[in-house]
Amino acid sequence: MRRRSGFSPQTLAVLAVLCEQPSEWRHGYELAKRTGLKSGTLYPILMRLADRGLMEARWQSEQPAGRPRRHLYRLTPDGLACASAAVTAAASVAKPAGRAPGRAQPHPRRLPAQA
Amino acid sequence: MNRVNRAMAALLRRSMQVMPAERREWAEAVWSEAAEVPSGWRQLRWLAGGLRMTVREAALARRLRYPLAFAAVAAGTVWSAWSGPPGNAAAAINRVEVTAMVVILATLPWIVGRTRGAVSGSWLARLVRTGGYAAIFALVLVRTAVRRVADAPPNNLGGATSAWIGEVAYLAVMAGYVALILAVTARRSPADRGTVATGVAAGTALGVMAYALGPLGFPLRFAGAGPAGLYDAAMVLGFYLAVSAPLAAGLAAARRDSRSEPAGSGVRSGLTAGLIIGATAALVVAVLSTATIALLPYDAWLRQWASSHIGHWTPAAGQWGPVLGPGTRQGYVAGNSAFAAGYLIVLLLAPLLGCALGAWGSRSWRLLTR
Repeated sequence: MRRRSGFSPQTLAVLAVLCEQPSEWRHGYELAKRTGLKSGTLYPILMRLADRGLMEARWQSEQPAGRPRRHLYRLTPDGLACASAAVTAAASVAKPAGRAPGRAQPHPRRLPAQA
Repeated sequence: MNRVNRAMAALLRRSMQVMPAERREWAEAVWSEAAEVPSGWRQLRWLAGGLRMTVREAALARRLRYPLAFAAVAAGTVWSAWSGPPGNAAAAINRVEVTAMVVILATLPWIVGRTRGAVSGSWLARLVRTGGYAAIFALVLVRTAVRRVADAPPNNLGGATSAWIGEVAYLAVMAGYVALILAVTARRSPADRGTVATGVAAGTALGVMAYALGPLGFPLRFAGAGPAGLYDAAMVLGFYLAVSAPLAAGLAAARRDSRSEPAGSGVRSGLTAGLIIGATAALVVAVLSTATIALLPYDAWLRQWASSHIGHWTPAAGQWGPVLGPGTRQGYVAGNSAFAAGYLIVLLLAPLLGCALGAWGSRSWRLLTR
C-alpha cells in the first residue's frame, strides 16, 4: 500500500471524522460542524479525496419531503487505511483544524445510520 | 430561506454552468446541503463558500481563463486608447473605436455560437482564435496611437464627417473579421482543420511579405540599379505568390473534397480557403504597417529611413507636435489619412480577392478532373 503523506491539517480533520465510523455515510454539513471548516474549504477537500479514490460519494437514494437530496460521503477501504495511518501519525502533534488554539474538540455525537 | 439567501442560492445554481462538467455535482452538493444549514448568516456563508468554490474551480479550468484574459486585455486596450490631450478631436473617435471593438469582440461569440457552436476543442482552433483576437486588439492600439498624433491640432481631422464615416466602415469590416475568426474556429466550422491551418499559415506569410515589401504602404525606393532590380524582382515574385496562394488553396480544398463530398461543396471549400488566406494576410499587414507608422514620431532612424526609401513621401512644413519638435512634418498627416483609408481598403478587398481566387482554383480542379 502506498503511503499518502502531505495532508493539510484541514484534510486530516476531515479524515479523522470520516474514520470514526467508516461505514457510515456522512453529510457535508455534519462534516463542517465537526471540523469547523467552511463550505468553501470543506468541499474542495472532499473533491480531492474523491479524485484520489480515498473517499466515495453518492446522492441520497430517497428525497426528503420539501428538501433536495443530500450528497453523502464515506471512506473507501484504501482511504480508510491511508486516513488511519495519517491521522495516527499526526495525532500527537496536530492542533484541531479550523478552531482557535486552546478550544477543545466537541464530543463526537453518535449519529443515526443513513439510508 | 430569506430573500438574500434565496438570491445567493440562485446565483450558486447559475454559477454551476461555468464549472467543468465533472465538477458540477459538487456545487450541487453544496447547494442542496444549504437546506440543512440554519437560516440566516450561517446559511449565507455556506452558500457564499459554495460560490467561491465554483469560481475557483472554473478559473482552474479553461472556462474562465479565456474570458478573464479577454477582460484584462480589453481593459488595458481601453485604458491605453482612451487618453488624449485636451482639444484633440481624435480622442472622440478613438474612444468610440475602442468601445465598439470591445463590444463586438465580447458579443459576437454569442451570436456566432448560436449557429456555429462554441470554440472547437482543438489547440489549433484556440490558437487561431486567440491570435486573431490579439491581432485585432493590436490593430486598435496602433490605429489609436497614429490617430492621436496625426489628427492633433491644427488638423483636427477627427472632427471631419469623412473621418466618422471611415470609422463606421472600419468597424463594420472588423465585425466581419471577428465573425470570420469565430466561425472558422467553431465546432461547426465551414472549413476543415487543414484548410484553416494552411490558410492562416499562408496568409501570415503573405502578410509579412507584403509588409517587408512596403512597410509604410508605399513601394520602396533604392539607389542603384542592383538593389532596385532586386526589389522589383521581389515585387513581381510577391505578386505571383499573393495570387498563387489562394489559387493553390482552392485547388487543394477541391481535391480534398472530391474524395468524400458532393461536387458543389468543392467550390465552397475553395472560397473559404481563399477567404482565410486573404483575411489573414490583410490583418497581418495592417497591424505591422500601422504599428510602423505609429512608431514614426518616436524613432528618428525610422523617419530618416522612410525619407530616403519611400518613393511617395511628401515632406510638408508646419508644426508637428511635442513628440517631434516644432518645424517638421514629414507627410505624416497626409500619409496617415491615406494609410488609414488604404488599410481599410486592404482589409476589405484582400478577403474578397482571396475568395474569388480560391473559388477559381477549386472550380479549375473540378474542370480538370471531369
